[in-house]
Amino acid sequence: MPEVRDNLFIPVTKQADQQEKITRPSITYWQDARRRLKKNKFAMAGFYFLLGITLFAILGPFLQKNGYDVQHLTARNEMPNSTFWFGTDEFGRDLWVRLWWGTRISLFIGIMAALMDLLIGVLYGGISAYYGGKIDDMMQRFIEVVYSIPYLLITVLLIVMMGSGIWTIVFAYGITGWISMARLVRGQVLSLKEQEYVLAATSLGASPWRIITKHLIPNALSFIIIQITFTIPQAIFTEAFLSFLGLGVKVPLASLGMLLSDGVGSMRVYPWRLLFPALIFSLMMVSFNLLGDGLRDALDPKFRK
Amino acid sequence: MYRFILRRFCYMLITFWMIVTVTFVLMHNLPGDPFANSEKLSTQQRALLAKEYGLDQPISVQYKDYLINIAKGDLGVSFAYPTRRVTEIIKQSFPASAELGIESIIFSVLIGLILGITAALKHNKSWDYGAMFIAIVGVSIPSFVLGPILQYLVGVKWGILPAALWDGPANRVLPALTLSFMTIAITARMMRTSMLDVLHSDYIKTARSKGLSQFSIILKHTLRNAILPIVTVLGPITVNVITGTLVVEQIFAIPGLGKYFVQAVYSNDYTLIMGLTIFYSLLLIVVMFLTDIAYGFIDPRIRLAKGRN
Amino acid sequence: MENILEVKDLKVSFHTYAGEVQAVRGVSFDLKKGEVLAIVGESGCGKSVTSQTIMRLIPSPPSIIKEGSILFDKKIDLVQLTLKEMESIRGSEIGMIFQDPMTSLNPTMTIGKQITEGLVRHQGLSKEKAQKEAIELLSLVGIPRPETRIKQYPHEFSGGMRQRVMIAISLACRPKLLIADEPTTALDVTIQAQIIDLLKDLQEKIGSSIIIITHNLGVVADIAQRVVVMYAGKIVEQGTVDDIFYRAQHPYTWGLLHSILRLDDDEKSELVPIEGMPPDLLAPPQGCAFAARCPHAMNICLNEDPQTQIIQDEHSMACWLMDKRMRTEIR
Repeated sequence: MPEVRDNLFIPVTKQADQQEKITRPSITYWQDARRRLKKNKFAMAGFYFLLGITLFAILGPFLQKNGYDVQHLTARNEMPNSTFWFGTDEFGRDLWVRLWWGTRISLFIGIMAALMDLLIGVLYGGISAYYGGKIDDMMQRFIEVVYSIPYLLITVLLIVMMGSGIWTIVFAYGITGWISMARLVRGQVLSLKEQEYVLAATSLGASPWRIITKHLIPNALSFIIIQITFTIPQAIFTEAFLSFLGLGVKVPLASLGMLLSDGVGSMRVYPWRLLFPALIFSLMMVSFNLLGDGLRDALDPKFRK
Repeated sequence: MYRFILRRFCYMLITFWMIVTVTFVLMHNLPGDPFANSEKLSTQQRALLAKEYGLDQPISVQYKDYLINIAKGDLGVSFAYPTRRVTEIIKQSFPASAELGIESIIFSVLIGLILGITAALKHNKSWDYGAMFIAIVGVSIPSFVLGPILQYLVGVKWGILPAALWDGPANRVLPALTLSFMTIAITARMMRTSMLDVLHSDYIKTARSKGLSQFSIILKHTLRNAILPIVTVLGPITVNVITGTLVVEQIFAIPGLGKYFVQAVYSNDYTLIMGLTIFYSLLLIVVMFLTDIAYGFIDPRIRLAKGRN
Repeated sequence: MENILEVKDLKVSFHTYAGEVQAVRGVSFDLKKGEVLAIVGESGCGKSVTSQTIMRLIPSPPSIIKEGSILFDKKIDLVQLTLKEMESIRGSEIGMIFQDPMTSLNPTMTIGKQITEGLVRHQGLSKEKAQKEAIELLSLVGIPRPETRIKQYPHEFSGGMRQRVMIAISLACRPKLLIADEPTTALDVTIQAQIIDLLKDLQEKIGSSIIIITHNLGVVADIAQRVVVMYAGKIVEQGTVDDIFYRAQHPYTWGLLHSILRLDDDEKSELVPIEGMPPDLLAPPQGCAFAARCPHAMNICLNEDPQTQIIQDEHSMACWLMDKRMRTEIR
């Protein structure tokens, strides 16, 4: 029994707001997601690797005085040494500089692809699902057609038409790459559309634009973010693939894909020419995937407990 | 169900027609003409060749002819190999690609399913991380890096398997393995997600509340329902395999369709590019059509719902 | 009457990345043979966790049973059983019905198969016998044309019909105890009454004891003999239906009763919601969990957790308002 004191049984006088006081401050969805993500060691490792790679891509070339296309004809196919940290290629070009230039180009393509996803994919999917009916039907038919031509083939067709180069690859992505994003957003919006709060907003006379941008897209945002972390590596991968087929960026510019296919060609004699680009490329891919998986675990309500 | 199939079939035809049209338009807006590369040709010779290929006709006539020819199963004559029809090239070189593709699909689905199921059943344990790491590595190394490395190590250095060409069963192993790497990852991830979905579903709780053993719940309730959606990965897998063959056939010197496509791109062989694009798309459309129908048959929800309306 | 179930001082926690959530904090109650007991309370008060712990359906990790015992049929402590041993009790001795009939049935398996599974597992019936039994069960739960229905899939049934199927599944082996976890929450109001009537009817026929979890006091009045009121992982009051509806002593129970419409009330009564939110079970408050929302809270409520005390026969509650010192001092 607790010690009996007279004042124990006196009613407490309460302020009106006291009832609403909760012992733990409520955290928002995004704060919660960030906390979850931080707990995921793999995802965070991926994040920091990407951060590091990006930093090097920006600063790396400045650490060496050579340009990516400067040829040192007296120093061809050199092993990594104190002058050329990652060695040189058959034209005596500094591979350290070329590697980080290549990373820049690959990242640039990835970021452009992500922008396309946001600009075209999200709006396409959103509009298609929001209006529904005939419009949705037609837009879906179009997607189905594009989806039935392998993405790489369309890109190759465009390269045949427009010549190869960074912008062709970006343009090709603008035509077809955003399809999965559009499908995803459409699915999300379709299910959100049925929710009461959207019906409420509609009946209050909110404009379609407002409903799409203020209600539907923010709620589909987590899915959009997850999709983008998979879009970027996919675009980078495609560029590498095209480079191998000789359809990538124009020489003497380097992309990671081009360095990789150069490296593959000479790997039996000069293995380091494959090693460094392959290391950075794979690290980048693994990191994007780990981060994407981590984001999905953190953001997708289905995976949360 | 039949109406469902019929409707899907009509969609398939429309999609195919649109692809043919898009390819046609793209190819006819190309800068220059296919003979621009051959410097030796005089203007007259060019005109003659253009006539032979019907390039002097108005575009609408060319389009009409093209459609009619495709309906007849004729994709025209290759520019680069004037003696050979595109269909002939396909007939001759597709079997090797198809075999390679099917082998790699079987291989990757088997391995992918095993990895995915293991990962889901051991969710958040080291098995899960291990399986998913393999999957992630699979999507992180391009086939054109992995292929040559395998080729060099297994084929040349250790001499265990043939490093190239397409002569016997042993020649299939390395290319199929290289081609499978990506698709294993796709299947494994999808299977894992699907399994986890099912494992967290209410009806698994119901099954447990009946007192069924863990083993029979996984066998009878979980696996069956989790594998259903996996049928749908056949579409993306086919895309991957098609684009993969472009590279893998190049690396291992396999006389397949992918090699022709790449060569056609180098030599601006427009009819061949067009023909192969249309062929690949048709392949993909048919695969997706069959997947849809197969899914309809296995899943009673779709089977019966689609049968009614 | 003999007790079929005795829950003693049950404590269940979940380990989350934020810390330990104490979902059930020392719950004790008994259930007699043939009795219907209702557990009521807001969402998150621990009533579902309690019921699923009895079935041992909550995966561990993340959950752990920290303390307590669940004595079933006077001899088996369910807490101590291995999963294998528990499997032979689930479905045969204890059946369970879940909240959402739309997701609780396997969509790719026929109804018949889903009913017979348990029969084959526990009673070793042949397929044909189990089939016959399933048809009988379906007609027992009021599904017309059971012979054809048995070959159909869940999506061919309406929500109410699916819940009937769920009831058939849970009763297939005539369990001694049936746990119904919010069996009517996901259903239309008209269907709700039908399902409750069916449960009452079957309870008389089969004689199972029932624990019904609900936040619908109407359902409680309709079917239960005794009521357990839970708040923030603890039992705040328990007693017979009359005790709770007419002689409630705990401010939280008053609150619950005030927040429903009553037709038999002559006075002009208005609906009074309970202000505020239940406490966070990551860090339960030091005193009475309800104190922050209680209109009668006193200084002691904020510091000391009240002990459970018996008021009369089966009626008990935990609140400082009933303390003897309280009576002498204030009244």
